Amino acid sequence: MRFQDAARDGRAVVYASIQADPLVARAAELLSTASLAERVLARAAMNGESSDPDRWRRMFPTLFGPAALVDGRRSEAILGAALAVADRGEQVRSQVRGAIVEELTARLLARRAPAAVVRRERRILFDGVPAEIHPYDVTVEVAGLGEAFDCKWGARGINADVLHQLDDARTHALDEEEQLRVSLVVFDAERSCRVRLDAQTAPHAQTSLVALEQLDALAGPARAAS
Amino acid sequence: MDATTIGALLEAAIAAEEALGELGESIEDEWSYVNDLRQAWTDRLAEVAAGPLGERAAEPALIDAIELAIDEAGRVRDPHRAIDWLSTLPQVVLLAAGSEP
Repeated sequence: MRFQDAARDGRAVVYASIQADPLVARAAELLSTASLAERVLARAAMNGESSDPDRWRRMFPTLFGPAALVDGRRSEAILGAALAVADRGEQVRSQVRGAIVEELTARLLARRAPAAVVRRERRILFDGVPAEIHPYDVTVEVAGLGEAFDCKWGARGINADVLHQLDDARTHALDEEEQLRVSLVVFDAERSCRVRLDAQTAPHAQTSLVALEQLDALAGPARAAS
Repeated sequence: MDATTIGALLEAAIAAEEALGELGESIEDEWSYVNDLRQAWTDRLAEVAAGPLGERAAEPALIDAIELAIDEAGRVRDPHRAIDWLSTLPQVVLLAAGSEP
């Protein structure tokens, strides 16, 4: 089993420019220390209809105003970043949201693994197995225990192709007597992810789910599938 | 005048979920997912509404928060976004009400 940079095709070039957008790094950094309520705020505002920040503040009374349970400055910064994403237009905001989830995942993983082993847009190659076309969003490349993460904005992004790709990689690694942990990171509630997964027939019993409520676990020790 | 209970607000959120579901159903490939998702979240909202939290009188800020969230969901016209909001709305509402999603 070996890791390799993805081919620099047209998709990769376009996507690299989205990943390099300063707004992606800004949002991911803010979300890396956010509470669950702040992450839900970001999710709602990034895909909402309204651009009036005061409406969003009023929707989250535990984050803003006199009844706020937290220091509102971080929440304000998260709201500002989320509305900046929403302001990008339908197609671009969708791409930016996906890039934010990937960047957030990489930043959280880098709290428990050296930054040099947390990689983006990588392929995983196995002897005698054709390489997958789509690279893995984030990988942790440690000898003896690799990890591959596919990142999704919403539960609806979970599909058979993604589940097969992750599970195939895991089983190919086992064929080579290597260990590869595979995970889905979804910026959506676990309840929604479970609904989506329950309807999937593609193998996923050994694929970990990291939903919105569990994102901070990425910064802890690597976990077995749950 | 009777105070608005948190349960009544959650019942309104359930109605908003039903409306989002109807919009999302227009994506034929996602019909089953939309209905499963709607059921999962309306069950959760109903569970909280029927519990101790549901009986409590809602503070004005909470009434405003949930009514605004429902209004925001009602502004959605795109069925793809409606599917996304089927998941988002109950999270916003339950967190505002002080419950786990």
